[in-house]
Amino acid sequence: MPETIALETRRLRKQFGGLVAVDDVDLRVQAGSFHAIIGPNGAGKTTLFNLLSRTLDPTSGQIYFKGRDITRLPLHQTAHLGIGRSFQITNVFPNLSVLENVRLACQAVQPGSFRFWEDHRRLKAVLERAHAVLEQVGLAARAALPARALPQGDQRKLELGMILAPDPSLLLLDEPTAGMAGEQVPELMELIGAVQKRGGKTVVLVEHNMNVVMRASDVITVMHQGARLAEGTPTEITANPAVQSAYLGELYGDLGATQEDA
Amino acid sequence: MTPATPSTRPALPGWLSRNLGPLGGLLALIAFPFVVAAQSGDSPVAVLTNESGNAKFYQGLFIEVFILAIYALSYDLVLGVTGLLSFGHALFFGMGAYATGILIKSFGWELGPTIVAVIGIGVTQALAVGVVLPRVKGVTFALVTLGMASVFHIVVQTHELSPWTGGDVGLQGLVPPAILNPNADRLRFYLVSLAVMVLAWLAYKRFVDSPTGRVCNAIRENEGRALMLGYNTFVFKLIALTIASVTAALAGSLHALYQPIVSPNVASLSFTVAALLMILMGGVGTLTGALFGALAYRLLAFFLDRWFGQIADVLLGVVYIALVLFVPYGIVGTWRRRRGRGA
Ligand SMILES: Nc1ncnc2c1ncn2[C@@H]1O[C@H](COP(=O)(O)OP(=O)(O)OP(=O)(O)O)[C@@H](O)[C@H]1O
Ligand SMILES: [Mg+2]
Repeated sequence: MPETIALETRRLRKQFGGLVAVDDVDLRVQAGSFHAIIGPNGAGKTTLFNLLSRTLDPTSGQIYFKGRDITRLPLHQTAHLGIGRSFQITNVFPNLSVLENVRLACQAVQPGSFRFWEDHRRLKAVLERAHAVLEQVGLAARAALPARALPQGDQRKLELGMILAPDPSLLLLDEPTAGMAGEQVPELMELIGAVQKRGGKTVVLVEHNMNVVMRASDVITVMHQGARLAEGTPTEITANPAVQSAYLGELYGDLGATQEDA
Repeated sequence: MTPATPSTRPALPGWLSRNLGPLGGLLALIAFPFVVAAQSGDSPVAVLTNESGNAKFYQGLFIEVFILAIYALSYDLVLGVTGLLSFGHALFFGMGAYATGILIKSFGWELGPTIVAVIGIGVTQALAVGVVLPRVKGVTFALVTLGMASVFHIVVQTHELSPWTGGDVGLQGLVPPAILNPNADRLRFYLVSLAVMVLAWLAYKRFVDSPTGRVCNAIRENEGRALMLGYNTFVFKLIALTIASVTAALAGSLHALYQPIVSPNVASLSFTVAALLMILMGGVGTLTGALFGALAYRLLAFFLDRWFGQIADVLLGVVYIALVLFVPYGIVGTWRRRRGRGA
């Protein structure tokens, strides 16, 4: 049933010199699912995201989005296919206003970017969408501030707003709650969940917060040293002994049990 | 501005009151030659009849300011707005200047076709420089553009080309066309170059507020993110470069028509640095700063030279360093910050 697979990788590999950051990973993400990727620091999650979002070229292997080979797709075309990606470390336009950051994200996927003779406010649909998104992520009151002036938590909201703005069908979220105050996390996850359900979107989420992962995910893939260690529902993953030794063990500091026994 | 507030000032239409500064500036510049004439005890009619004197002289100085301002404006679009570090911007200006000189002098072209040709050359050279854009970034782009300008700087001085370019002496003996002759009718040349500057400024203002210009701003801020949002940043950089190149080439045209000689130095690194100094003094990325920067640049050189002669160059260097250190956002940038409008 290839049409129900939103995203697929085949033996996807990335090497940095001698270091294999992503080691022949086969991944299948069901369309409309909430798919979490977990793993200890340095497991290769962000690198995998960089490959999936076309920020990095893979060393070998293929990536398919809705059955289409996107392994060599130019980076700027991914957004037009409906792929949106957020960053672990906030990656915005620091000196532009919050509104402008989101507005640019909307403008990119709508016609009119080459109307160099017209005022940008004439692109009404773009502007309205940007305001609506700011409302949605709770930044409407801060629209005029330069992005760099936002507190950490609001920067994460802006990062999410920029992903939601073009209304992608696949969201690649790299630790969207990193650096957020604890009480803001459920609110943000609820928002992501609501957007996903309402739009029938596919979400691939990297996250360290186990509570968040267990509650939100349909499927969890565990990565360890660049490779796919295990995959299953939250219940299966919690019960998996290999995961416990490789990942949970490491999390709780039991380093003696982290040898690859998978 | 709220209607409820009683105002002692006469009510102006919104558009007018919002543009008082630029309009006042424009009117002042139009009146300037006549004011100078009156100040020097000449009749303002002397300005209209093109008589020699202070008014004619200061018009000449300001024609140079306008030409430099157009040139600096074009550099601000490349560096200040789009964030492309080019060390070869003078090439764009030099091409326009030499093309104008050669077409009119050696080929006997009229002004109209010459300007059309210069615009065509402006587009072509931007595309030629632009092809390297996807491959070279940052400092490498600076060096590649510097290399291109240096080649031009050397080639125009070669013996083989000297019948057209005048070799290392420079291109001289260009007889300006009757409709735009700075010697026969200085006021017309003054007003035409002022008009070109104002139109360029207005067009640039509009461009940076257009959807296209906004993307150029985003590229300066964070090109990787702009790509990821779905913008083919190469195309946008090429557009900015092309607009800037055509503008600089037209400034070069005016330069060739105004100056008795086109020196090969118009394509040198120091002339690119001049553009950099002007926008640094005026405020990088503000556009309006380019105009003030050009004014400061030309007048500083002129008055320091007049007052201090020999050591003027040294003083000029000191003044530049002081300005960049103590007015880091430039004239317009600092002014906007003071008024709380941000950078
Ligand atoms: N550009 C790069 N050049 C060289 N090595 C890199 C590069 N990017 C990542 N790595 C290495 O690849 C490995 C995987 O890193 P990655 O950032 O993908 O891990 P991660 O799972 O996202 O970790 P974290 O949970 O800390 O975010 C690490 O050893 C890292 O040092
Ligand atoms: Mg990471």
